[in-house]
Amino acid sequence: MKQIFSIAVVATLALSKALAQGHGPLYGLQTPTLAKGGVDFNVAAMSLATENDQSFMLRYIWSYGITEDLQLNITTPTMIDRLSDVPRTRGNSNMPANGDIEASVWYRFFSNAFGVGKRFESTAILSVSAPTEETRGGINVSNSIHGAISTGYASRTWYAWVGGGYQYYFEEGNEQLGDLPYASFVVGYRPNIFMGDYPKPDWRIFVESLAEFPGASSTEGQISAIDQRGKKVMLGPSFLGLYGAWGISFGALFPAYQEIKQGPKEKYRLSVNISYWL
Amino acid sequence: MKKLGIIALLTIIGLNSAMAQLIKVDQEVFGMDCAPCAYGLERGLKKMDGLEKVQVSLNDGKAYLQLSVNNKLTLKKIQELVKSNGFSARNAIVTLKGELSKVGDEWQLNTDDETFTITPDTPANVLSALNTRQVTVKGHVKDEEDGNLDNSWKIQITEIL
Repeated sequence: MKQIFSIAVVATLALSKALAQGHGPLYGLQTPTLAKGGVDFNVAAMSLATENDQSFMLRYIWSYGITEDLQLNITTPTMIDRLSDVPRTRGNSNMPANGDIEASVWYRFFSNAFGVGKRFESTAILSVSAPTEETRGGINVSNSIHGAISTGYASRTWYAWVGGGYQYYFEEGNEQLGDLPYASFVVGYRPNIFMGDYPKPDWRIFVESLAEFPGASSTEGQISAIDQRGKKVMLGPSFLGLYGAWGISFGALFPAYQEIKQGPKEKYRLSVNISYWL
Repeated sequence: MKKLGIIALLTIIGLNSAMAQLIKVDQEVFGMDCAPCAYGLERGLKKMDGLEKVQVSLNDGKAYLQLSVNNKLTLKKIQELVKSNGFSARNAIVTLKGELSKVGDEWQLNTDDETFTITPDTPANVLSALNTRQVTVKGHVKDEEDGNLDNSWKIQITEIL
């Protein structure tokens, strides 16, 4: 009975208290952190389509603000449909589109609020991940570490963030997934029509771009390491709507350039995210 | 005996209502850009004891606070809460009831927990009208560094109420 109750509580939390990345973009790196003591739950529905296949997953994120500059996050996936041949990507910078469970620390190490609604800030991210599957695209998958840094500008009208990150998978059973350096650039705009004051609904649009450079994976029995790195640039719009303690964001990324050395080419990424701030 | 009790109670209430305190604060907030920011700040402020009414405006970049009678709130506590929400508390327009005193060459208004030093840019006609020991005034409190708040403020009085 106790077990059923626990499962029900977890399921209720997962279904009703979704997280997004809060007030930022859907795919790219961002800088905002929660208030001291702030709690945020997100749930995201994500899909990634390749030439021959499409994945579907739900992802939950729980975030807690230790201070106004230091935030803890943990994100877990529910995989609905996995890809048999997986492109090398994180999917979304702030939450992996693969089957990893990820814990991360965000540290906003610089913040300068210099006007009404205006601020510059920079945030560093450090994550550790554990996979929920044994192999990914036929290669043994292990734990990984991820680090990223982003800096940006926020105002009542314009937003811009630029950042870069790196994910490294450890070796597992003589096989190793390739590393993943990436960069992100996001521009956001809030139209005049949504400049109504709080608590009126608050909408904005982002143009998001991700450049990923996946390293080659190594497999057991491979004679020599492949020293080739793929290149991929994804571009697309996303929308963020906020009302009180609730937020919804949705968007898509499409390949603008792909030079793939391993794995399939991507066709698009879709995400919908719901946030609730406690 | 019952009458004495009522008189004592009224006396206590009377004394309390005369306490030096903040009455109203319009706190300027920098860096607040979105609805969840305003929501979080408003919710945080509402949790503070001593507030009667709270309104946060994104477009004005301000938190409008009406304090309750006999509150113990300080401007320092309000600005610290703004900071803990990730924003920067800047200038404030306050209405306060304070005890007037002169320290050296400076005039000060003291609430129970804070000191507001009256700045020389306070209009002369306002300064000359400050002749009672306890006054209720409206004024412009100058911005202090968020990381260096210490219950001492500088105020330009604009109006005696």
